[in-house]
Amino acid sequence: MPEGVIAGGWSYVIAAYGITTTVLVLYVVSLFKRSSAAREVSDGR
Amino acid sequence: MNRGWIRWSGLAGLVLLAVGTWIGLFVAPAERHMGDVQRIMYVHVPSAWVAMVCYTTAFVFAIVSLWSGRRVWDDRLVGAVEVGAVLNALLLIQGSLWGRATWGVWWDWDVRLTTSLVMLLLFAGVLALRRLADDEGRRASWSAVATIVAYVDVPLVYFCVRWWRSLHQVQSSPDTVDPAMVVPLRLNAIGLLLVAIWMASRRRRIEGARREAESAAPPARVASEEVARA
Amino acid sequence: MKLARQAWLIFRKDLLLEWRGRARTVSVILFGIVTLVLFSFALGPEAEPLRRGAAGFLTLALLLSSVLGLNESFRLEQEDRALDGLLLRPVEPTALFYGKAMGSAFLLLLLAVVLLPAAVVLYDLSPTPGGMLRLLGLWALAAAGLAAPGTLYAAITGRLQSQDVALPLLLFPLVVPVLLGSVKAMDLVLTGDPMRQLQSWTLLLAGFDAIYWSVCGVLFPFAIEES
Repeated sequence: MPEGVIAGGWSYVIAAYGITTTVLVLYVVSLFKRSSAAREVSDGR
Repeated sequence: MNRGWIRWSGLAGLVLLAVGTWIGLFVAPAERHMGDVQRIMYVHVPSAWVAMVCYTTAFVFAIVSLWSGRRVWDDRLVGAVEVGAVLNALLLIQGSLWGRATWGVWWDWDVRLTTSLVMLLLFAGVLALRRLADDEGRRASWSAVATIVAYVDVPLVYFCVRWWRSLHQVQSSPDTVDPAMVVPLRLNAIGLLLVAIWMASRRRRIEGARREAESAAPPARVASEEVARA
Repeated sequence: MKLARQAWLIFRKDLLLEWRGRARTVSVILFGIVTLVLFSFALGPEAEPLRRGAAGFLTLALLLSSVLGLNESFRLEQEDRALDGLLLRPVEPTALFYGKAMGSAFLLLLLAVVLLPAAVVLYDLSPTPGGMLRLLGLWALAAAGLAAPGTLYAAITGRLQSQDVALPLLLFPLVVPVLLGSVKAMDLVLTGDPMRQLQSWTLLLAGFDAIYWSVCGVLFPFAIEES
């Protein structure tokens, strides 16, 4: 295997961290929304 | 579990992740051969590790759920499986990006990534089963059964995929870690674990509330439905 | 042992019912042949790709046909709530599981009788008689590997609205080891085994069977219990 350094590649790193952060944030938001929905249902009775 | 404790653990996890990511992206040295692409590992390895912790926890919850019959364990199981599945999906994306950057292919049937793919299909199936089952009583035992069956399969899948690949050139994801890289790796691993615990706990509470709402159908509503139908 | 006797009786009952309604079994066999032919159309007509893929096509035909058979295995009991009747009589749920699983495994084994010769013809294979026996043995191991988790899941999905899609959705990722083991082992039998790997793959299949025939037997009572 040739000895060398992979040039650049920062776009992949940013993509990886970006997608991870986005998905986790979206999931957390969905948790908050589902939380309040569940609370409304139990409060409403 | 004390709610305040969980919230603090979530925040602490977030802080650790921020610090770990900062170090991993800007402070840690670039890897000898892979250059900066290797920095993906600081989120990929923790994701894989925490996903496995989630699934293992779910497996334990499943056994307890069947043994005790108490629904609260099913709520906990859902939290663990769902968070595990989210991280599982993420680790596949991260692994694919890494593979594209280093090997030039989006997917190359690497042993660990292939096993992760099957794991995601297995546990997504558990979640799908819950959606399809409307009988609340059975849903709990079915989820537990499916989780146990799925988890037992994981080592079997790993070994057979490894044998399957063993005649071919194995392009494995890196696991040798330079000492300078251990710090961000550990920070992110613990940080992500704490965040995952917080997320799973929230999911558990949602499931508990949903379950209570389902089982307590107010009698007044049922009676009025009958009147309307008559 | 009471459990074994009950399991045997259920096994016999299912086979008898299957014989009486054998049009269904014949249809599943025909479906298997159709699948093999479809693979030929998808990858042929050159002989070489077909010969190389034969082990894979056979395993996939087995897998796809198994879903049809498994979906049925509890449908009879769904009618008239016969399953509850079975359980009210002192039938151990575990015996029910093993009886049903053996029945499904047997029917899948029956598929081999038709599909193996069909594949030999369609894909221009030339196995030795010993090779054919070995293929049959591997098929039996694979069928058993599908039957145990398949029966467990069929008991669950039989109660769902969307049972037809739920069973394969749950089963297929689970049986990846059976799939890989069966394809690899059959391929070694058909194309030669210079590095003597057949034993490892056979052990993998046998190991999967042993694990899942015990785990699913333990879990089955939980799958069918009333809440």
